[in-house]
Amino acid sequence: MTAAIPAPTPRWPRGLFSLALLLLAWELAARALAGAYVLAAPSDVILHIAQNAGLLGRALRETLANAAAGFVAGNLAAICLAAGALTWPRAAPVIAGLALLVFCLPLVATGPILRVLYGPGAGPQVTLAALAVYYTTFVPLMVGLRAAPASWFDLVRSYGRGRVAELVHVRTRASLPYLFAGLQIAAPAAFLGAMVGEFTGAERGMGVLTIRAMRTLDVTAIWSLAVIAAAVSILAYAAVGRLATALLTDRPPVILSPPVTPAHTGWRPLADAVVVLLVAVAAWWGAMEAFGLNAFFAKRPDDLWQALYMAPDAAQTRATLTAALRETSIYLLPGYAAGLALGASLAVALTLAPALRPGATALAVTLRSVPIVTTAPLLVLLLGRGAVGTIALVATMVFFPTFVACIHGLRQAPGQVLDVFDSYAAGPVARLWHVKVPAMLPAFFAAARMSVPASVLAVTVVEWLATGRGIGSLMALSASLSDYDMLWSAVVVISLLSVLGHAAVGLAERRVLSVFAAEQVAV
Amino acid sequence: MGADTGNTGSPDIRCKGLAKVFPGGVEAIRPLDVTFEGGRTTALVGPSGCGKSTLLRIIAGLETPSSGEVRVGGAPPAEIQRDAGLSMAFQDPSLLPWRTVRGNIELALKLARRPPAPHAVENLIRLVGLDGFAGSRPAELSGGMRQRAAIARAMVTEPRLLLLDEPFGAVDELTRRQLAEDLPLLWEPRRTTALLVTHSVVESVLLADRVLVLSPRPAGIVADIPVPLPRPRAAGVAETPEFRSIARAVAEALARGMAQARPPLAAQ
Repeated sequence: MTAAIPAPTPRWPRGLFSLALLLLAWELAARALAGAYVLAAPSDVILHIAQNAGLLGRALRETLANAAAGFVAGNLAAICLAAGALTWPRAAPVIAGLALLVFCLPLVATGPILRVLYGPGAGPQVTLAALAVYYTTFVPLMVGLRAAPASWFDLVRSYGRGRVAELVHVRTRASLPYLFAGLQIAAPAAFLGAMVGEFTGAERGMGVLTIRAMRTLDVTAIWSLAVIAAAVSILAYAAVGRLATALLTDRPPVILSPPVTPAHTGWRPLADAVVVLLVAVAAWWGAMEAFGLNAFFAKRPDDLWQALYMAPDAAQTRATLTAALRETSIYLLPGYAAGLALGASLAVALTLAPALRPGATALAVTLRSVPIVTTAPLLVLLLGRGAVGTIALVATMVFFPTFVACIHGLRQAPGQVLDVFDSYAAGPVARLWHVKVPAMLPAFFAAARMSVPASVLAVTVVEWLATGRGIGSLMALSASLSDYDMLWSAVVVISLLSVLGHAAVGLAERRVLSVFAAEQVAV
Repeated sequence: MGADTGNTGSPDIRCKGLAKVFPGGVEAIRPLDVTFEGGRTTALVGPSGCGKSTLLRIIAGLETPSSGEVRVGGAPPAEIQRDAGLSMAFQDPSLLPWRTVRGNIELALKLARRPPAPHAVENLIRLVGLDGFAGSRPAELSGGMRQRAAIARAMVTEPRLLLLDEPFGAVDELTRRQLAEDLPLLWEPRRTTALLVTHSVVESVLLADRVLVLSPRPAGIVADIPVPLPRPRAAGVAETPEFRSIARAVAEALARGMAQARPPLAAQ
């Protein structure tokens, strides 16, 4: 007699049922909170979208066009950078350092600067979309180009062939799954970049409508725009994933950050940092001079030196900057720490309740694809313009990538070591503490490093759009008052602090991994 | 067959004062003088980490020696690499996962800048027993089948020098014995110079004309044992007294090398 195998329940009816439940709960909550100006009901959102389909459609087309152009430009730049780092390995640390420095430029501040540099048109939106994506593609691509096993390269070299043959026959194809992993994250990021570009003085697009809705406190419009942005992001994420599955036989890996830089000894890291800084200053100066940009708005490094240290009001400028930074750090640091702690703890807790894990992971992967900043106005509506709303936004920005990375890291626990624990009938907590949590640490730190610029972006956006405090607000104010000395100074300071934060997390990562994952920090 | 100095025929390999010290001071090979005759199969046997794979990689031109030199057919290894006269098979089959069996074998022709040879490729696929799997990707094959595909890839360029770095190390014992019986038929008739790195005493005697037993790191030669068994070697050869006697000599030399390098446990 054979046991009947139950027919598997199709996934989509369950998914539809969950979605219907969610919409019902949302509708009821919105009805209960009617008049509070925080939550629009889904029925109202659908009605608003239907009534304004023409306007929203035109705005969406504009933003999508900008995002697509930025997506192409940013990813091409990432491919060129990775190819440069690969063919010139000695320059790789400098290329990676410059790429990180540019990625740390706060989008909300580069927006107004690009606006005055480009003038009217889609230039800033496209550039910001490109800036938002190139690093998320560059990082996994670098990992992919180096990820092939050494014996594949031995094979090529044993026929007397060199780097070009390695690139053609091995590296290019081996890196494709990694490239797609980067493109998958880049697709929603491009949409985010285009929207942030539109926040800063564009004439058309989703970002412009969002700003208008915020000003008039049109709750239904804000929710409609956020829903459209989230839907587009999820669809873009899914579409690139589907394309990867169709084109590749191997699944894209989960890549969040490159392995921690090997611990070079001596003066090498410092020398690399100095070279990165010098090249960045030279490129900044060179670009300003080469394009003959007006020194009124296109500030050079020496202008900032003057403004911060030599001008009569230099002390006042520094004091304003310091005060703004202090305000920002009050929101940034707790939000960053809370996002990391919540992401890691929830991932760890779910290993003790495995039945909940698939659903929670699927939800987190979906929500991770939503650029949280595009939904910032919602969080401001829900949690207010005070500290709680800002900290919650930063924490949310950090939470999703950390949670997804930690879930992935916990799965890396070596099966044979777990078998050893099983053979001693060790309980789930012992397995977790001694095997799974140490196995999770590399992924946790990778997420922590990549979350530094992301959290800075989140806090500056919410300060810009809502709170009226901190460095984000100072940048908005400086842009509107044409105080370009202050604007450029804020950009430089916040970028350097992001890079330093990234380096500090990297340092902590190296120390922890040298104990728990020594192979990852070997030279 | 004597030494060959041209770019045809089976090259001999001469190592003179060859030594390798890795950065950090790990001495992998102590100065070594040895000649591997052209057209013969020599097995390098030694304990794990003794430096035998390093020696093979230096001969392949994938690693540079710290001192001394290696000449393949009277020239540096780069020469035979350039002529595409060298092929190497690794412990890991190193098949590219996105290429089929046929595609992986054809890759060697591309790397060697040879014209496509569909008949030769199909013939090799049949010879290594992969009929019907030419269009399969490595993930669809067993470990033994992948190893056969890797050997076919190594043979498709008809190399004059074949370097085998524990090519059967990752497969089970039965498959390993089957491969050790089947695959020499591919290179023996061509009188290819072959160097085989292995841990297995039986495999070394079954496949080689000569066995060099190496000491634990740094590698030095403990014994040089000829294997005068007739070819081709049938499955039953391992049961003959001659085979057993040679295998015992290899095993004893290995034990001697280990003992010289490390005092017995009781004495520690």
